[in-house]
Amino acid sequence: MGVSMTTIMDAILSAAVAQHGGEAAHAAVAASHGVTGPLWIGLIPLLPLLGVVLVTLLACFNEKSKMPAWISVGLLAVSFLLTLFAYLGWNGHDAIHLKLWDWIGLSWGDLRGQTLAAGFAFYFDGLSLLWMLFVTGLACLIGLYASEYMEHDAGLGYCRFFAAFNLFVFSMSCLVMGDNLLMLFLGWEGVGLCSYLLIGYFYKKKSAVDAGMKAFVVNRIGDLGLLMGMLLTFTTFGTLQYDALFNQIHTGLTAGGTPLSQTWQVWAIPLLLMGGAFGKSAQLFFYVWLPDAMEGPTPVSALIHAATMVTAGVYLVARMMPLYLADPAHIALTAVTWGGAITAFWSATIAVAQFDIKRIMGYSTISQLGYMFAGLGVLATTGGVFHVFTHAFFKATLFLSCGAVMHGFAGQLDMRKLSGLWSINGFRVVVIAMLIGCLNLSGFPFTGGYFSKDMIIAEAFVTPDSVIAGSSWAGWLLLLTAGMTAYYTFRVFFRVFVGPVVYEPGEDLHAHDDHEHADAHGHGHGHDDAHDHAAEHFHPHGPKWAINLVLTLLSVGCILSAGLYFLGDHHGWAGGMVHASSAVVDTHAVEGGEEALLFGQPPHEIMFYISAVFGFGGILLAAWFHGPKGIAGLLIGGRTTAAEVRMDPIAKALRPISTWAVRKWYVDEFYHLVLVTPLKIFAHLFHWFDKLIVDGLVNFFGATPRVSSDAIGESTQTGVLHDYALRMVAGIAVVLVVVVLVLF
Amino acid sequence: MHALLADSTLTGGLLTLAQSDFPHALSTLTLNHYLFVSAAMFALGIIGFLTRRNLIIMFLCTELMFQAAGLALIAFGRYHLNFDGQSFVIFVLTIAAAEAAMALALVVLLFRRRESLDADLWAELKG
Amino acid sequence: MLVLLILLPLLFGVAVLLRPPAAAKWWALGGTSLCLAIGAMLVGRFFANASPDVPFQAQGSFAWLPALGLNLSVGIDSVATLLIGLTLLLGPICVGASWTAIPQHRARLFYGWLLVLQAAMVGVFAARDLLVFYTCFEFTLLPMFVMINEFGSTNRHKAATKFFLYTFTGSIIALAGLVYTAWAVGTRATGVDGFTLDIATLTEHASHVLTAREQALVLLAMLCGFAVKVPLFPFHTWLPLAHTEAPTAGSVILAGVLLKLGTYAMYRFVLPLVPHAVLEHAPAVAILAIIGIIYAGLICWVQTDVKKLVAYSSVSHLGFCVLGLFALNSAGVTGSVLYMLNHGLSTGALFLLVGFMYERYHTRDMREIGGLGAKMPIWSTFMVFFVMSSVGLPGLNGFPSEFLCTMGAFISHTGWTSGAARHVGATWGPLGPWFGFAAGTGVIVAAIYLLAMVAKMVWGTLREPAVHHGEHDHHAGGPHLPVDLTAREIMTLLPIGVLCIVFGLFPTQTLIGAIESDVNAQVAFVHERSGEAPTEHEAHFAQQEHRQQRDAGRDEQIAGVKP
Repeated sequence: MGVSMTTIMDAILSAAVAQHGGEAAHAAVAASHGVTGPLWIGLIPLLPLLGVVLVTLLACFNEKSKMPAWISVGLLAVSFLLTLFAYLGWNGHDAIHLKLWDWIGLSWGDLRGQTLAAGFAFYFDGLSLLWMLFVTGLACLIGLYASEYMEHDAGLGYCRFFAAFNLFVFSMSCLVMGDNLLMLFLGWEGVGLCSYLLIGYFYKKKSAVDAGMKAFVVNRIGDLGLLMGMLLTFTTFGTLQYDALFNQIHTGLTAGGTPLSQTWQVWAIPLLLMGGAFGKSAQLFFYVWLPDAMEGPTPVSALIHAATMVTAGVYLVARMMPLYLADPAHIALTAVTWGGAITAFWSATIAVAQFDIKRIMGYSTISQLGYMFAGLGVLATTGGVFHVFTHAFFKATLFLSCGAVMHGFAGQLDMRKLSGLWSINGFRVVVIAMLIGCLNLSGFPFTGGYFSKDMIIAEAFVTPDSVIAGSSWAGWLLLLTAGMTAYYTFRVFFRVFVGPVVYEPGEDLHAHDDHEHADAHGHGHGHDDAHDHAAEHFHPHGPKWAINLVLTLLSVGCILSAGLYFLGDHHGWAGGMVHASSAVVDTHAVEGGEEALLFGQPPHEIMFYISAVFGFGGILLAAWFHGPKGIAGLLIGGRTTAAEVRMDPIAKALRPISTWAVRKWYVDEFYHLVLVTPLKIFAHLFHWFDKLIVDGLVNFFGATPRVSSDAIGESTQTGVLHDYALRMVAGIAVVLVVVVLVLF
Repeated sequence: MHALLADSTLTGGLLTLAQSDFPHALSTLTLNHYLFVSAAMFALGIIGFLTRRNLIIMFLCTELMFQAAGLALIAFGRYHLNFDGQSFVIFVLTIAAAEAAMALALVVLLFRRRESLDADLWAELKG
Repeated sequence: MLVLLILLPLLFGVAVLLRPPAAAKWWALGGTSLCLAIGAMLVGRFFANASPDVPFQAQGSFAWLPALGLNLSVGIDSVATLLIGLTLLLGPICVGASWTAIPQHRARLFYGWLLVLQAAMVGVFAARDLLVFYTCFEFTLLPMFVMINEFGSTNRHKAATKFFLYTFTGSIIALAGLVYTAWAVGTRATGVDGFTLDIATLTEHASHVLTAREQALVLLAMLCGFAVKVPLFPFHTWLPLAHTEAPTAGSVILAGVLLKLGTYAMYRFVLPLVPHAVLEHAPAVAILAIIGIIYAGLICWVQTDVKKLVAYSSVSHLGFCVLGLFALNSAGVTGSVLYMLNHGLSTGALFLLVGFMYERYHTRDMREIGGLGAKMPIWSTFMVFFVMSSVGLPGLNGFPSEFLCTMGAFISHTGWTSGAARHVGATWGPLGPWFGFAAGTGVIVAAIYLLAMVAKMVWGTLREPAVHHGEHDHHAGGPHLPVDLTAREIMTLLPIGVLCIVFGLFPTQTLIGAIESDVNAQVAFVHERSGEAPTEHEAHFAQQEHRQQRDAGRDEQIAGVKP
């Protein structure tokens, strides 16, 4: 507390001159390797931490106003500005270091030969700056959004939400800004905790609590990989600190002097780290927690489970790129590529069949994360990282739009029960924001999502199969997925946001007190006969200024993010940032300068057309199957109600398969059968084993003297003194005889 | 025994426990003599304790055994030329005295209950 | 000062008995607080004067029976200091936690024994000779026995008896091992022709005079005692029972300090006295520890009694502690010592929370009670906080200890000798990466069972037992407690919470730095001595030599007496 108060004073003083100070700092200390950053950089994570403390204090005083939100948003805004200052003051190539204190430090051996040193220290290079910019920026905006979204819960719940929200930003900052793997782990687990707390925010709902727990436990399984990867890194390289680690990798030798390429660690470490990354970013076997995580409040889904936390895995792989590249066989990179590509495709197959619009967004997040990993895997770090950046914006926009719908329709998320939002009062901003988000997600030409996705897919064709096995096949898979993405994205848009006005409120009707006013307004606009009694009085309410403002700003952000592609020399702004970080890949060195061609053209050029074709194809399919009659259905749609679409007969014809897809291929059930149930059976077995065998043996030994003495006692315990004396003497005599016989 | 013999040879002759002003006839008393007396006393005590039923006699027999042990301790103490044995015996004597007071008081109490000194009348601990 | 810390609680214990029952808790609070204040000074002074050359401070020795070579000596190194600090901190907290739970007419008995217990626990950590150590070690049993037997819940008599007999049986065997070592050192090294009880002397010589076979047997004997105390799988079954039945303060002390007596004794005796055997058998012990981590963790998952769950979690957690200890390298042993402290804090706090809940509802069955999040927000907040500390969330105290224990096992060089690569990160030790990996899975299990507990107790819809029946007489008539925690209860939790954060964010400054030189010295000592044990011939020769020296001395004496 004391620490943060003094540092805050420091911040107020230094913020005014931050920009100049930053420049002066790097100008003065532009050493060969990194510069020492100004102290106020430490405030970027510590301000949200201060927010946690303040909000907790407010909770202690039972504050009922929106104060926690304003405090959070204010502090996050300052955090964002500080990040921006740090970025502007950064010299563009050297990493900024700032060590606050030694966190876990230990040295041992002769003359303290071995050291584990993990400082509570920060490391700012292009990669972490890029991440921090959108983390703090989006956190600030989404906090503002949440101030309105969570207003039903003003009071303890509100404080709880914003405390966890702030704690999340703190943890995420530590994850991204940490200067060693342990710091990353601190943030890694911290965001896991916040994710757990926020998914289970509606803690009276069993599904929410279970989802939170599932997220935490599945993440922990991945974390085991990360932990083991860290320890293996330590045994191999003798350090966990990024700079030292990368320098060591650069020499091509382990700390013991063995050539890296001859060790098994060179592929084992990246694979283990990949396990952690896949857990946090919901890839391959680990993806199951993320759709369930949509139980949390929508701002949480937007910030944590779409824009920031789930990209932590991508960050980890990008950060550790030198380690991945150190393996001449690229085993781990191939695994990353295929893990990402398969996940992207797999979750797209689920997303096309779902009806819950938020879950569709959840699956699309998994799918897009798959793209990012595939991008990193095929050495398109710039593309992967750029996709993280654009995805953060458009997916946040999409989620927040869905959230606005949810907010207005009492938690309704079923696309079969909602239609025509464009024509409902007060939802225009939401629909436009949604459209922009959808265009980005489906890779519509000249949107940010289009550029970033193209970079990944094109690079998959550029990278020769000899470097990453089956790289071009992964590219085709990703292209197919791109088409599916466009389809399911616009399926949502065409069904929910345009067309005839139909709606049914969701189940949260009684949960929120402020819906009582619905009675006064009489009947809603809906005409579906399936309304229950309460729903008859339902009146959707459009978002107010905070939500609309945030949606507008984010939409603008989505549009502007496309422009970043044209900045700088290294394939856009993101490329420049990646270039000034550990994630940079010298593709020529890795690929050996082979010139790859796709349809006789360089893939990076022709990809603009191919992916546009796939994107348009998907959108047109969606319009045909789901679009309403008229212009918004692009003139080919034919939907007249909310529930029935042209897709229905096809889905019926594909019955078993389409049902499986709706049921998410029964993966959850499979895990339950194969993992959870056996574990539970083991637990029960152990419980009984403990009770009957382990404790039973103890009780048996305890009971033996008593039982046997009971039996013997009947005959020997006469109570007569002489009997005892005689036996005692006889006993001693026997012992003496034995002793004498044995000893002499 | 070996140690004893070894020591005897070391000191150039039979090691005696006698003081210099002992009567000549007893000057060759060895440790074994004392131990023999001690053992005899102890055996008498045991036999008495086991065969007699009178509480007071039995008590006296235990005292006999005590003193037998004390004698052995003193003999050993003299043999090792230190005071450990004697100090132990003083402990034993003190405790024996205290115990005698207690025991006799108990015997009186017991006698008052049953009007008899027969130890075997008391068998309440059976079971 | 150390002696004061042992005698003061005893004095206050007497005072508690002499004063009227109503004053008992005030005297107890005063006594424990005074001790805490003195303890704080002690810790402060220790670390102000700490230097690697003088590992032990505040040494004192009192010649009790010089003729028999019996001394009572005390002294503390950094590890003991920190554990004494933990003990003293938990003192006032336990009194505060029992404030309303213990009915007034029996308060003297309870607080009297509580103070005696505190004296004994401090004695164990402060001991510098076996006499003080073992006396105090065993003397902790009696107060605990009384506390469980007299103030426990339904099944208390069985629990108390089992606790006493099980741990006592173990300790007796450990005593045999210690006494054998004391005899061996006495006859073969120091020439006192008897028992050497001084711990420093024992440590110096034991590994030089005990043969490999003897070391293995002594190790086995000591483990019998200390593993039961820790408790290590499969010697743990007394613990859940004792914890479940014990009163809150009893559970807190049991988890917070008494279990640490076992690991502390391992650190103090097992490692340095028989290093050769330790090195040889460390994998076996580590496997037991790892089985305990996972096995007890899974058992936790299916518990319905929340207190039993926390008790089993102790078994699981202390598996890490033992694992780190037997990794025999700095990382592991440091982690283990940290674990002793941090487990005391976080699990102690969990027991406090369960106790506060029990005082209100008189049930611990999670099928009957749960979903307290809305009803008891403060309680729930603390619950989630301490569960996270227990899960090992980085930034809280559990993480550095758990991480270092796992790391210690992982980087043990034995696992890294294969292959051409020399691993700079790997360090001396008998375990290997697979041990670290297996222990790491325990982290997942911990998340499962602790979050399942939180899900049942804190989240979900409110479930309360139908009637708050006063099943036990001594609970009836107690003051009515408010729904959520009182200021007194919060005050017992708050210091622990603050320490959790401080130890989590600044472990290097507070704990690791404090114990680093001692632990490194201990590890170096074990490393150096573990290589070779004397052969039987050498041991026999040493004994003969000392006997001859003694005999020669006696002969001179005799010769001097002879005219």
